[in-house]
Amino acid sequence: MAPNINPTLPLLLLLLLFTLHLSSVSAWKKEEFRTCNQTPFCKRARSRKPHSSSLFATDVAILDGALTANLRQPPPESPDQDQIKPLLFTLSVNQNGVVRVKIDEDPSLDPPKKRFEVPDVVLPEFESTKLWLQRFQTETVDGDSGPSSVVYVADGYEAVLRHNPFEVYVREKQGKRRVLSLNSHGLFDFEQLRVKQEGDDWEERFKGHTDVRPYGPQSISFDVSFFDADFVYGIPEHASSFALRPTRGPGVDDSEPYRLFNLDVFEYIHDSPFGLYGSIPFMLGHGKARGTSGFFWLNAAEMQIDVLGSGWDAESGILLPESGGRIDTLWMSEAGIVDTFFFIGPGPKDVVRQYTSVTGTPAMPQLFSTAYHQCRWNYRDEEDVENVDSKFDEHDIPYDVLWLDIEHTDGKRYFTWDRVLFPNPEQMQNKLAAKGRHMVTIVDPHIKRDESFHLHKEATSKGYYVKDATGKDYDGWCWPGSSSYPDMLNPEIRSWWSEKFSLKNYVGSTPWLYIWNDMNEPSVFNGPEVTMPRDALHYGGVEHRELHNAYGYYFHMATSDGLVKRGDGKDRPFVLSRAFFSGSQRYGAVWTGDNTADWDQLRVSVPMILTLGLTGMTFSGADVGGFFGNPETELLVRWYQLGAYYPFFRAHAHHDTKRREPWLFGERNTELMRDAIHTRYALLPYFYTLFREANTSGVPVMRPLWMEFPSDKATFSNDEAFMVGNSLLVQGIYTEQVKHASVYLPGGQSWYDLRTGIIYKGGTAHKLEVSEETIPAFQRAGTIIPRKDRYRRSSTQMANDPYTLVIALNGSHAAEGELYIDDGKSFEFKQGAYIHRHFVFSDGKLTSSSLVPNAGRTLFSSACVIERIIVLGHSSGPKNALIEPSNRKAEIELGPLWLRRGKSAPVLTIRRPNVPVADDWTIKIL
Amino acid sequence: MKIYIVIHNLFLILGVLFISQIGRSASKSLLSTNPFLGIAPQDENYYKTSSEIFKCKDGSKKLNRAQVNDDFCDCPDASDEPGTSACPGGKFYCRNAGHVPLLLFSSRVNDGICDCCDGSDEYDGKVKCPNTCWEAGKVARDKLKKKIVTYKEGVTLRKQQIEQAKLAIAKEEEELSKLKSEEKILKGLVQQLKDRKEQIEKAEEKERLQKEEEEKKRREAEEEANKEKSKAEKEANQEKNEVKEQVGSEEEPMESTHDDKIGVLDQDVEEDKSNSVAEVEHTDKSENASPTDGIEQHAAEGKEESPVVHETDLHAGNEVSPTSDQATKQENDVAENTEGLSREELGRLVASRWTGENTGQHTEEVDAVKHDHHESHEETPEDTHAEEYDGYASETDDDSQRYDNDDMEDPVDEDFGEDDHYDSSPPYKSDTEDESDFSDITSTSNPSWLEKIQQTVRNILNAVNLFQTPVDKSEAAHIRKEYDESSAKLSKMQSRISSLTQKLKHDFGPEKEFYSFYDQCFESKENKYVYKLCPFKQASQEEGHSTTRLGRWDKFEDSYRTMLFSNGEKCWNGPDRSLKVKLRCGLKNEVTDVDEPSRCEYVALLSTPALCLEEKLKELQQKLELMNQEQPQGRDEL
Repeated sequence: MAPNINPTLPLLLLLLLFTLHLSSVSAWKKEEFRTCNQTPFCKRARSRKPHSSSLFATDVAILDGALTANLRQPPPESPDQDQIKPLLFTLSVNQNGVVRVKIDEDPSLDPPKKRFEVPDVVLPEFESTKLWLQRFQTETVDGDSGPSSVVYVADGYEAVLRHNPFEVYVREKQGKRRVLSLNSHGLFDFEQLRVKQEGDDWEERFKGHTDVRPYGPQSISFDVSFFDADFVYGIPEHASSFALRPTRGPGVDDSEPYRLFNLDVFEYIHDSPFGLYGSIPFMLGHGKARGTSGFFWLNAAEMQIDVLGSGWDAESGILLPESGGRIDTLWMSEAGIVDTFFFIGPGPKDVVRQYTSVTGTPAMPQLFSTAYHQCRWNYRDEEDVENVDSKFDEHDIPYDVLWLDIEHTDGKRYFTWDRVLFPNPEQMQNKLAAKGRHMVTIVDPHIKRDESFHLHKEATSKGYYVKDATGKDYDGWCWPGSSSYPDMLNPEIRSWWSEKFSLKNYVGSTPWLYIWNDMNEPSVFNGPEVTMPRDALHYGGVEHRELHNAYGYYFHMATSDGLVKRGDGKDRPFVLSRAFFSGSQRYGAVWTGDNTADWDQLRVSVPMILTLGLTGMTFSGADVGGFFGNPETELLVRWYQLGAYYPFFRAHAHHDTKRREPWLFGERNTELMRDAIHTRYALLPYFYTLFREANTSGVPVMRPLWMEFPSDKATFSNDEAFMVGNSLLVQGIYTEQVKHASVYLPGGQSWYDLRTGIIYKGGTAHKLEVSEETIPAFQRAGTIIPRKDRYRRSSTQMANDPYTLVIALNGSHAAEGELYIDDGKSFEFKQGAYIHRHFVFSDGKLTSSSLVPNAGRTLFSSACVIERIIVLGHSSGPKNALIEPSNRKAEIELGPLWLRRGKSAPVLTIRRPNVPVADDWTIKIL
Repeated sequence: MKIYIVIHNLFLILGVLFISQIGRSASKSLLSTNPFLGIAPQDENYYKTSSEIFKCKDGSKKLNRAQVNDDFCDCPDASDEPGTSACPGGKFYCRNAGHVPLLLFSSRVNDGICDCCDGSDEYDGKVKCPNTCWEAGKVARDKLKKKIVTYKEGVTLRKQQIEQAKLAIAKEEEELSKLKSEEKILKGLVQQLKDRKEQIEKAEEKERLQKEEEEKKRREAEEEANKEKSKAEKEANQEKNEVKEQVGSEEEPMESTHDDKIGVLDQDVEEDKSNSVAEVEHTDKSENASPTDGIEQHAAEGKEESPVVHETDLHAGNEVSPTSDQATKQENDVAENTEGLSREELGRLVASRWTGENTGQHTEEVDAVKHDHHESHEETPEDTHAEEYDGYASETDDDSQRYDNDDMEDPVDEDFGEDDHYDSSPPYKSDTEDESDFSDITSTSNPSWLEKIQQTVRNILNAVNLFQTPVDKSEAAHIRKEYDESSAKLSKMQSRISSLTQKLKHDFGPEKEFYSFYDQCFESKENKYVYKLCPFKQASQEEGHSTTRLGRWDKFEDSYRTMLFSNGEKCWNGPDRSLKVKLRCGLKNEVTDVDEPSRCEYVALLSTPALCLEEKLKELQQKLELMNQEQPQGRDEL
């Protein structure tokens, strides 16, 4: 016996150590990322005291229709202090209440190089909306010794450049109340580029990585104040509450600022100001007293933003009189210039409209991409794809897109196929397409450094890769191993990249194939903070630090352009990206990255998506089910029920997780998930109409309650419920086994339970019973929602199916709604090839009229009819309705609110009016 | 009935004609001319009543007859719209004459895809669906016929197998009961022999003492003659010595084993230390980047840790959870230390978080340094290998004797291993070393075997005179030999009994149709892996020389249509491996497909006659009959 122990013992030890190692992969690697204190510019800016800026404006003038000035500092008291060179200040005004303020080094004073201005984000059209300022007034404000310059912004609004102390703000003309102000606390600081002198040591080290910083520190920081604001919102991407919590000030212990630095964070946690995959430096302030305002800093370097809790500056001894209802924020960026936009609102939808007038409105998605997506890392081979596809049919669950993750490629060389697993990719896609379904494959920016890979060979020979600080092709590590990254800042390289998506170049692709851009922060496994070194070099000598947050944006742009080119400009692209920046909404959808299968992450998905929507990125969602880990069945079902209302609705899972397609959890749960997916499909006409609204106005599909109820204070910090459009309120269920939920229904009008039609009073919280069948959802009284109640295999197959209208009457027995229809895929709608109906119900009569300008020409028509009209809140007397102009009668009866679902009280139904959806008509209840 | 079919077809043809000419409105005319579209034959009566009132099948609503198939859903159970897509959740019946009828989800009606081979589900004119039932039906019938042939043969094979199984089981049961009764007798004999042996030993001891006594006396007499004076003192001394000797002989063996163990432990720890140091030195040379201090410190930590780890393992067994805290700690250490890694190592390390894979030799080495793995001479390049150790640990926990994890080809479970050895039924025999050794017991057909022993023992016992002194040396040796042999036989017999008992405890299916699986393994090669399924035992995946256990036998599931192997080796970042084997009727036992639809959850297909059920055969035959009946007239195939 005894001798046998001998060889086992070391083995056991070894095993155990292994086990320890293997099981340990389960935590956010916090220490791999910098804190503000480890980031010199952030630490410095945060330690500055209010009113430490001594800048003042001189040489104020009107130049090229803009207000210009020089910002100077008084000469230093001691000679060894640096005298900063004057900075150039420009203030311009655009239509609809947008003020742009730029501050940069003066090129005529010979700076070592030009600081980076982010190109291709501001719409070219925006420039054409510039108001040509002719003059400015001077005025003395706040008892200053010197004058201030005042220019017109919009009706009732003015912009003020206060000369000394330097401050710039927008105010209401009447009463001269500030709306938004920059540098009212004097925290402005601008580190100018320098030429390295003997003895200068600017290198920064972090975790064994060295950043050479050839131009020295070049950061910018300043304070921005939102007046009459109860909360501030925006600046994604963070997994945190919707209304941004203070990060400094009384009662805040040691919090990090909100960080904007695109990072691939392994297993991110659900409540942290830490930076994630994308960055949009746009913040909104909202308050009951005045409304909404917004501030956007176009800058792609690392940014850190403090929300300063009331009383944060108490130690400075200066308490400003107007500090009530005012929120101060501190903005810090490592590089770039000041290029900021003030949006005056005053309504929430005005601010998003103003913001998207600068950065663009969300692209109009293809109809199929607004339906349900089925993804997993990985659907392994063609057989797997076929099985999953046929299981959806077997269980009568519609889906529109099947996704292939990195394993489908030949050794993580994108644009290639593993020919053992996918010998006939075209045939596979065609089979899906025969059912109206599409496929998405992944294309990441890291290119395998493999001499036999044509893409690598080409990029190398053309010099298209990002360079390291020494000028060699940057070599980082990602999925394929040693990889390089195309320099997407260069338009020529983007154009080259976009050609790769042609059907000829992308062998094995078909017109039904669309693209997923992952890892484009960029993720570099062996780089500092899992990304590219800041001193890597881009096109035009731009340092990576200057454009980091926009790298993924340019990559997304090039891919999206590629799909447009592939379709000869006739097919709308669909590209999902993980990294994003201001303007990404023009190129496709985003999702919230690698979340985890737990209840907290289900909950945080709502504020995350709301924030994205508010900042332009309306086409967004979270991985249904949670990427990491195995969700309990109840969580998975709840996630489907919530995800069915995400603008982007996709299930996804890590390859170590168990399979979780909707039919794997027993019949009852299959039914629940099918029902959730069916709900989405029924509401697709409504969603598509909302996507069109976003496309024209920037107003997001999924909205915070306060966007619809801006003066209802109870909604301001609610991030458990949200609106889908203006008609639908949805409240997630974020706890297991709950029997009740408290749901706040805002406004003065009633709400109808979406499923049962039961009516609830508005303006109060209701304690509701919760069943496993659904999460609480309500239709707002006074609205009309278009539905399609027949389910098909996919959304594209529903094109000819008839509509149902659900009219929810308000207190005055009226309601209205819209329906937008186009071909679902081409750009013809831009030429007016669409149907846009306005439905109004009043005085017992439903009227359909066109919202298309020049409604005379019909560039797009539809044979669809409306087969059913449900009227909620109507007395159940009438038996007939009269349809004009055809002068037909339709029966009225009591019918179900939903066809397939259990028992609910019957509702007034106009049976088979069968009016063409494209036509003008009226239906009068007799 | 026939007439109806003709009319039905006529309508269809007319309908299709209409539709192709005038499109949408034709569909209405089709429905109005054939209000019974999509209705299954067994439901026709329900829809064909002459009453003007139609009742939803669930009784929830009464409708006007005109509301049936009017393309508007009235009934919550969808029963008013069998022929349209108006009711989600409804069903559409297509007759598919020439092929099998089909019941479709109503969402398939007029969706632009031909689902019914007779084309009846697409009548709105948007697509033209040719009637392909004849061709498709022929293919299907041929396929079905082939299947029936297989089943027929399979049913016979199955019956034979069941017969054989029943015989074999009866035989084994008989053997078992015989062995049990023989065991009783043999046990008695062994006991007798043991008693006798002990008596002899006592007698011998006594004899020895006597001899000593005599010798002593002789010497005493001599001494007395020489030194009578000191006699008293010497006697006292002699007694003392005796006591000492006795005590010593009792303690010695215990002490020595104890020493042994400690020696081994010490030696082990010593070895570990030297290994780890060697490893550190090795990597230090190759990795100049890493600061030596750090590594040495880690190595030292490793040393300190090892006893603790060892202890945890012994006490907590294979449970990983109690050590997860340590794990986190360890991971933090790693993270803090990433600066020491080369850029490539760092890349691999970070990548492995997502992939959950060990990223190959390079990281392996890195990990070895970081975690102090003591594995310089037990290089484990593949993660499967690592997992193998992992799995192996769980075994060695309860039985540290089986440490030779390399010969995974032998069944892992010891009990089963022995079963193999002792099996006597020729077709399933697996050859093993000590087959011959066992022949003396297995040849139980010779009835005199036990009697012989009994006789021998009796003879011996009678022959040996216990009270005879001195003990007859040859007699004593004879008894000892006889005892040794008998007890060896007894222990073999007992293990045979236990293996038989184990085997017969298994669930071989309602008709024992899976009995023959007991001693068989099935193999299938998929790409680089060989999958080996041994029902009632275990299943594994082999790649070259490395073997991964996919699971131990668990049970049948799904009314004996699935075999489940569970609790296989733990998956990196995933569940314990498991394998489901779906059983199909086939003439040979054959694994046809192995798949891993979910991480570390394998699924295999096994065709076997055991699944060729007679009822199923009848079902198939009926189906074929039905298909033949459904053929259009005049085109009868047979």
